[in-house]
Amino acid sequence: MADVLSVGVNLEAFSQAINAIQALRSSVSRVFDCLKDGMRNKETLEGREKAFIAQFQDNLHSVNRDLNELERLSNLVGKPSENHPLHNSGLLSLDPVQDKTPLYSQLLQAYKWSNKLQYHAGLASGLLNQQSLKRSANQMGVSAKRRPKAQPTTLVLPPQYVDDVISRIDRMFPEMSIHLSRPNGTSAMLLVTLGKVLKVIVVMRSLFIDRTIVKGFSENVYTEDGKLDIWSKSNYQVFQKVTDHATTALLHYQLPQMPDVVVRSFMTWLRSYIKLFQAPCQRCGKFLQDGLPPTWRDFRTLEAFHDTCRQ
Amino acid sequence: MLRTHCPASRLGINLLHLTPASLSVSQMPVAEGKSVQQTVELLTRKLEMLGAEKQGTFCVDCETYHTAASTLGSQGQTGKLMYVMHNSEYPLSCFALFENGPCLIADTNFDVLMVKLKGFFQSAKASKIETRGTRYQYCDFLVKVGTVTMGPSARGISVEVEYGPCVVASDCWNLLLEFLQSFLGSHTPGAPTVFGNRHDTVYGPADTMVQYMELFNKIRKQQQVPVAGIR
Ligand SMILES: [Zn+2]
Repeated sequence: MADVLSVGVNLEAFSQAINAIQALRSSVSRVFDCLKDGMRNKETLEGREKAFIAQFQDNLHSVNRDLNELERLSNLVGKPSENHPLHNSGLLSLDPVQDKTPLYSQLLQAYKWSNKLQYHAGLASGLLNQQSLKRSANQMGVSAKRRPKAQPTTLVLPPQYVDDVISRIDRMFPEMSIHLSRPNGTSAMLLVTLGKVLKVIVVMRSLFIDRTIVKGFSENVYTEDGKLDIWSKSNYQVFQKVTDHATTALLHYQLPQMPDVVVRSFMTWLRSYIKLFQAPCQRCGKFLQDGLPPTWRDFRTLEAFHDTCRQ
Repeated sequence: MLRTHCPASRLGINLLHLTPASLSVSQMPVAEGKSVQQTVELLTRKLEMLGAEKQGTFCVDCETYHTAASTLGSQGQTGKLMYVMHNSEYPLSCFALFENGPCLIADTNFDVLMVKLKGFFQSAKASKIETRGTRYQYCDFLVKVGTVTMGPSARGISVEVEYGPCVVASDCWNLLLEFLQSFLGSHTPGAPTVFGNRHDTVYGPADTMVQYMELFNKIRKQQQVPVAGIR
């Protein structure tokens, strides 16, 4: 009973109110029954009308009476939800079989969790917006209605323009051959062969480089159905390492307004791997460290370093 | 039945280097009574300390054939020697080589053909020489240390180092040399001759077999010299 009092529900008034509702419903249906039956047979037309009106009036009176009674009772019932912080959902805590249906505690957990999530997401969005590292067109944290409708021009370059940029780069480096294909619509994929050292699969989106995988010259770069295999990695540790570094290079070479310069810079950097097995480390002077040759190439000087020897 | 393409799944660079087994055995400071077997153990222990992991075994064998007398011309020309070899790395293939000559890569049933060609090529008596041992993997390197035997006796040690990522042998010779030094120390050899006259051709299984053939020939010539530690 203490629980009941604490949420302010007057159970007595409550059950009376339910009875009052039932009474109101039946008196209302009597009104409609009377209307449906119409005027009963009486000797005179006048008599018929009189009887009908009297009965109709009676019925309406009883509806009015029942309604007043319900109104009175509803004030007694009180407003249980108002003094509970979770409003009506707080009533779940009244469930006596808490052990079997722990709905209420779950609800509280979910509420706390979603509150925290919202708070952290707000913080993260604020921080991320301060960083200039934006490779994609969508601005983070900008609401949908403020997002520009058209994609930036660099993402809708005509394929012909992309072809031209790539073939110009292809001609720049004689020891590097670039084969361009478009197996999946407009996005280009490049297969770059660097001397007899390595092969690189480059997945483009317009003139942006989305993904690169570096493999050995002797390794297979195609799937069984003859498409470029853009998912599997090299079997050799040295090329897995170079793949990691190439991915880092993609993030380093950024100039959103001039994507062709970015592609050219990346390819120039990639070309320095022609001496992957011939260049000793510029720091320690050795060829091998932990069984790997110098796999890192400085972004500015293109000098060779072991992964752990670079500054 | 004969094929000249490479049946092996990979064309790693297989730089076989080495070691003139008998040479290295006799020169290594094992004179105080160490056997070939003990020297092999020493080498493999060094590899394991480096972090190399055991990956099964390997075997390379070689049999010598000479041209049958009946087919030689009247001008007193000498018959050429032909070597028929097998390598467990390429289990479906058989290699037929001439010294300084071409290398033919055929299916394994080439051996049956050789029996049929008895009239032209005769196998030299007790010429069979082979090396057997353990394969080790270290990063992208594959190292095979084997005991070379002729008949019942151990004649020396072969060391093969393969660096799979690089397909042009001369590109990675310095890198291989540094790796060899890490476990052979002062016994590191000079560049195999097979590297000298090629520029950037892609290395293939035949190149490995030529190096094994040269190694076996060297060991055969030294067979009179008793190997240190055998006694
Ligand atoms: Zn270094």
